[in-house]
Amino acid sequence: MSMSNKRKAIDIAYQAITYLASSVSLLALSMIVYFVWSNGSGLLNMDLLTKDYHAKYYNGEMVEVGDYSTTLRPSDLDDDIYYSEQYGIGLSDAKDREGNPIILVEYIASDSPMLKLADRNSEDIIALEEGMLISKVAFFDKATALRTFGAEYMVNELDSATDFREIVFTSLGGGIRGSIITTLYLIGMTMAMALPIGVFTAIYLNEFAKKNRITSTLRTLIDTLTGVPSIIYGLMGLAVFVPLTISVTPATSGNLISGSLTLAVILLPVIIKSTEESLKVVPDGLRQASLALGANETQTTFKVVLPSSIPGILTASLLGIGRVIGESAALIFAIGTAVKDDISIFGKSTSLAVHIWSMMTDEPANIELSSTIAIIILMIVLVLNITVKLLSKKFMKPMQ
Amino acid sequence: MNTNTRKKKRVDQIVRSIFLASTLLSASFIIIIVIFIVMKGITPFITDNDGLGVVNIWTFLTGTVWLQGTAFQSNLYAVGFIIVNTLYIAFLSLLLSLPVGVLTALFIAKIAPKRLAEFLRTIVELLASIPSIVYGLFGSGIILTFVYNLAELFGVQSKGGNSVLATVLVLALMTLPTITAVSEVAIRSVRKDIEEGSLALGATRTQTNFKVVLASAKSGIFAAAILGIGRSLGEATAVSLVAGNAKSGPNLGLFDITTTLTSTMLQGLKETTGVDYDIRFSVGIVLMIVILLTNFILNAVKKRVGNVNVK
Repeated sequence: MSMSNKRKAIDIAYQAITYLASSVSLLALSMIVYFVWSNGSGLLNMDLLTKDYHAKYYNGEMVEVGDYSTTLRPSDLDDDIYYSEQYGIGLSDAKDREGNPIILVEYIASDSPMLKLADRNSEDIIALEEGMLISKVAFFDKATALRTFGAEYMVNELDSATDFREIVFTSLGGGIRGSIITTLYLIGMTMAMALPIGVFTAIYLNEFAKKNRITSTLRTLIDTLTGVPSIIYGLMGLAVFVPLTISVTPATSGNLISGSLTLAVILLPVIIKSTEESLKVVPDGLRQASLALGANETQTTFKVVLPSSIPGILTASLLGIGRVIGESAALIFAIGTAVKDDISIFGKSTSLAVHIWSMMTDEPANIELSSTIAIIILMIVLVLNITVKLLSKKFMKPMQ
Repeated sequence: MNTNTRKKKRVDQIVRSIFLASTLLSASFIIIIVIFIVMKGITPFITDNDGLGVVNIWTFLTGTVWLQGTAFQSNLYAVGFIIVNTLYIAFLSLLLSLPVGVLTALFIAKIAPKRLAEFLRTIVELLASIPSIVYGLFGSGIILTFVYNLAELFGVQSKGGNSVLATVLVLALMTLPTITAVSEVAIRSVRKDIEEGSLALGATRTQTNFKVVLASAKSGIFAAAILGIGRSLGEATAVSLVAGNAKSGPNLGLFDITTTLTSTMLQGLKETTGVDYDIRFSVGIVLMIVILLTNFILNAVKKRVGNVNVK
């Protein structure tokens, strides 16, 4: 009896260890989600998705001296906002990521002269916008109001001057529009290349290829791709696709086409495997019936076999999109790491994942925006995964 | 009728050749990868590198300093210590992820109630789908701080937490879902009669799980370990964010900064010609050989221990 009690205690201890081990996965996932959410959720809004990443600098001056604002201080303006009645702008003090003082434009009256400024660097008319930063206002007859002197000082100086020599302001930047567009381009171009080649390969291997040494060699070669680390694909992109695209397109360096070609090669084994799996569950009877009814091979393939394998192709596409969104190492080599706002398929720019890498290798690392992008990536990957799971539950089972 | 049949045959032939061409193209990429990387990668060893002189292949493979002198002005590159670092880190991370992964798999497959098992399986799938850059971000945000504080506790001043330990932890986390998923399949495919035999002989459920089921699944578990090692060896971006970029080594202390083959390749890629550029392809060749050899050796070991052999 005491022996069996001892056994029981040991068994419980062993079981407890498995509970403990399993909690590691749960803990890891919760910590990752908690980490990116607590760091990144603050920046998550629509503006982020539509704004440029790089700040733009403007030098403006009054178009017509004396054209002042007549708007009184709006009553709903917070107490810590200083309002210039003459120029119709509300400014507040803030700190940037490095802790330096900045002056933020909180409010602009609709008749503010700041909405129509002459650009000192061109002929254009430029406008100060809410959310921009003012670095300094220089005057003709007195000292410059720098951002380091604070918003209150700047407002007082502005209101006590009839004119100013120049106002230097910047757009805030920090948006990820460029990286979102890049990611979408990459998804589109990669799938357009990888899907047909992958599906055709799967059809050939499953429908036409004879069972011989050559076929099994071809299979082995394709399967070997699965084990290649993505950084090696990146090297191939750099050595093969970058020179190739430079020689046949206007590109002069790594570009979105060379990136997509590299990603397409990465996706091929995934697409081939998933498509083949769904081709395998198409019953042979269907093919024979089609052929017996007088259809030729081509018709049978495209009208009978292929439609039955659509769930598999769809699954492969979703997995592929997830891979494109998450891929970083290969793209660092095959495109580059320069974050851009103006996107061309012949130029460099970063996908969302590479955007994170680019910011994390900067000094100081921008963990906040990186986490925000990570939230977006995680949400997309999560949705893709759930969809794949539902798809395979819905379509794959009844065919077997 | 006859011409129609012939036309159909002709279409069949064209379509079939398109399919064949796609297949040949798909199969050719692995060859293209090898040829181009080898071609670029051997350049530093067979040319005089714009007057800098040939890189000595023996010192390259055995040296303990990545680069002596200035980039683009020296041919003294070496990856010997980086090979040691890479293998060291991969095996240390396996030491963490394999037991945790296998026990989790055992829990999911045999011990947990059905609902909990399904829930955990989803958690593991989600972990597996998280891109490596997010693991890197998490690593440099949380794990670096943790390692930094831990090092301080031991009276060591680590370089912001960038270290062997941080790299090992990140890689262990990243390989955990792979190892768990593959082991679970192995555990679930253990033949029922072996289990029932053990139970019938009077072993408890837990004894059976640990002594019989795990032993019977060891071939599959070994396969999981090989997959995990492969992923650790090839992982790049996450590692580069927590390794600390050591310039010489080997770096065996847990709180020392380190570098791996992949993080070295990602370091300061600026120019696109010259030896400092080509040498990354040489490191790529070394990485591929290291992965192939490791796989080969582990598979040989697996064959020796893989047979079901319940004691």
